[in-house]
Amino acid sequence: MKIIEIHDLTKEFNGLTAVDKINFSVEKGEIFGFLGPNGSGKTTTINMLATLLLPTSGTATVNGFDIIKNPHEVRKSIGIVPQEVVLENDLTARENLEFHGALYGVAKKDMEDSIPDLLDLVELEDRADDRVITFSGGMKRRLEVVKAFLHTPTLIFMDEPTLGLDPQTRRVIWEQIQRLKKEENTTVFLTTHYMEEADYLCDRIGIIDYGKILDLDTPSNLKHKIGEGDIIDMRVSGDIDSILKKLEKEGCSLKKREDNFIRLMALRGEDVLPKIVRLAEREGITIESLSIHEPTLEDVFIHYTGREIREEKAESGIKAVLKKFKGVK
Amino acid sequence: MNIFQEIWIIWKKEMKVWWKNPAFAIVRSLMFPLMWMVIFGIAFSGTVDHIPVALVQGDFGEEANRYVGMLNTEGVLDITTTTNYANAVEMLKEREVYGIIFVPPGFSRGIEEGNTVEVQLSIDETSPQVSNTVISFISRISDAFSKQIAPSSNMVSVQKNTVFGQGIEYLDFLAPGVIMMTIVFSAMFSGGLGFVMDREFGTLKMLIAAPISKNSIIIGKTGAGVVQSLFSGTAALLIAMAMGVEVKTNILGFGLIIGLMFLTAFGFIGMSMAFATRITRIEHLQLMMMLVIMPMWFLSGGLYPLESMPEWMRVVAFINPMTYATDAMRAVMLRGIIWEAFALDVLVLTGFAISMLIAGSLSFKRTIE
Repeated sequence: MKIIEIHDLTKEFNGLTAVDKINFSVEKGEIFGFLGPNGSGKTTTINMLATLLLPTSGTATVNGFDIIKNPHEVRKSIGIVPQEVVLENDLTARENLEFHGALYGVAKKDMEDSIPDLLDLVELEDRADDRVITFSGGMKRRLEVVKAFLHTPTLIFMDEPTLGLDPQTRRVIWEQIQRLKKEENTTVFLTTHYMEEADYLCDRIGIIDYGKILDLDTPSNLKHKIGEGDIIDMRVSGDIDSILKKLEKEGCSLKKREDNFIRLMALRGEDVLPKIVRLAEREGITIESLSIHEPTLEDVFIHYTGREIREEKAESGIKAVLKKFKGVK
Repeated sequence: MNIFQEIWIIWKKEMKVWWKNPAFAIVRSLMFPLMWMVIFGIAFSGTVDHIPVALVQGDFGEEANRYVGMLNTEGVLDITTTTNYANAVEMLKEREVYGIIFVPPGFSRGIEEGNTVEVQLSIDETSPQVSNTVISFISRISDAFSKQIAPSSNMVSVQKNTVFGQGIEYLDFLAPGVIMMTIVFSAMFSGGLGFVMDREFGTLKMLIAAPISKNSIIIGKTGAGVVQSLFSGTAALLIAMAMGVEVKTNILGFGLIIGLMFLTAFGFIGMSMAFATRITRIEHLQLMMMLVIMPMWFLSGGLYPLESMPEWMRVVAFINPMTYATDAMRAVMLRGIIWEAFALDVLVLTGFAISMLIAGSLSFKRTIE
């Protein structure tokens, strides 16, 4: 069963197309990842699906309800973990959850049972009655995430759920996402900058840039699409052209070349590596660095967008820090 | 880098930021002094004049007419002449006039015979500056009148009789306006500021994303704002009472006071909501407070009677909802329940509350759609 079906969904802001006629669907119980740089249209898409933003054209159904004609029903079926933490700072963790639960019509009795459990899941049980303003960024984020679990929605949207978190906290949130899928068959639609997160969590990944879906597949299929085998990166000095031909004969294919940097792909990289070293020695070429790795989503991403997502990471890191300062003030 | 370079860097950056918001800088540096000088310089330093009073003339003899003619000079009083005393009392009750001057029958004859005659002044002292002006003006005119007949004599004695506001001081006059201002400030904070903060911190977005109607959000927030404003207003009332402001009313009157606070809070929450949806920065809300709310208060007659303002400024007071809020509050607190005295105020306040709530919720809805 398809829980999200998107048809030609488009959003323009003052003539700028943020989301450009996208079409795809998400299966029930699936963890779907939306991967793309800042400003690629991820959040705009989520906002439209969550009925926070009206599409310029096209539409989508969420849990069988049209997002334009039936936003109220859509809202009832979904949970949202927004990019920024939106808790009431002056209320306690428990009060924040109670307020949220009440908004979504969760019975008081049910909340009495589930709130302690949820707080326990994210290791906040002993801070339940402290005001959120006293929480660290990671604690707030954890609370924000379980807040969306409270009304047991069939579908949860998570916009950068682990942005700027330390590895332990990130691990806790990953576990919770996987538990939801396994125990409740909840569908999770998440956006992320983090390749390893998408790789680790997602059943399928959509790569989006400039408002267009560039590809959509399982992580392993996506990795295969950029070629079979291992990626070999090397930095050399000397006349590289002479050995490139010979290497291609050995089953290496040239993927990228930039000054003295070369990226090759080879089916059995570990076998090819010694050959490269020997060839280079014979031709009098100095290898300054040499590395081999299996293709990652990072490589897939670069393949599709021509950009590294790392730059974005750094930028968003600074943003996260600034946001924290704003919160303090 | 030496300390001067460091200072220069900081100075330059601050100036840059300042200049990036020219509207703000200009408004602050030009509008602010202009506005306040107008308010304080003109509204508060003007003399109190054109005070409406009723004149019950029981004698139309030569001397009486001359006396009345003198009362009509200088533009201090706006005199409505009547021969029916009951009429005049009705006008005083309904606050159409501040006082009744009674020139008794036999005034002219008494003067001609060289006797001292008595002029009665029944006065509403709920506005001390106004009543003081009336009293001193009438005494002065009576004196001058006497002296024209016989120097160093006292032919006309003025008998003062306070009808409303016995023993009222400036504090009593001031308190109703302060209570209303407290309500308005509280309403601005819980309505407008709350909205801007909610939007700034994203909590508004979460409410909008929830499966509840937008009307519920608006009504719920407004309702909370009203209760918070009533709390502040009641606190202000209690402080005033503790300071000796005598509330001349019964339980029903207190109910009315709460009702007036309620209407005012509603209206101003709506207004601040309508403003808040238009602005993007908290600073602009502060600016609005400075340029809209404060002048509204100063030109409401809350600090100083409207009679002290020049005509054109009274027009501003006339369209200012705070004028009606303060006026009604003062009427109930200092005079008790005389419906006719504040019916118009209640009507205007109700209209203001309803229209502002509609304006506020409409613009709120538009921003969250």
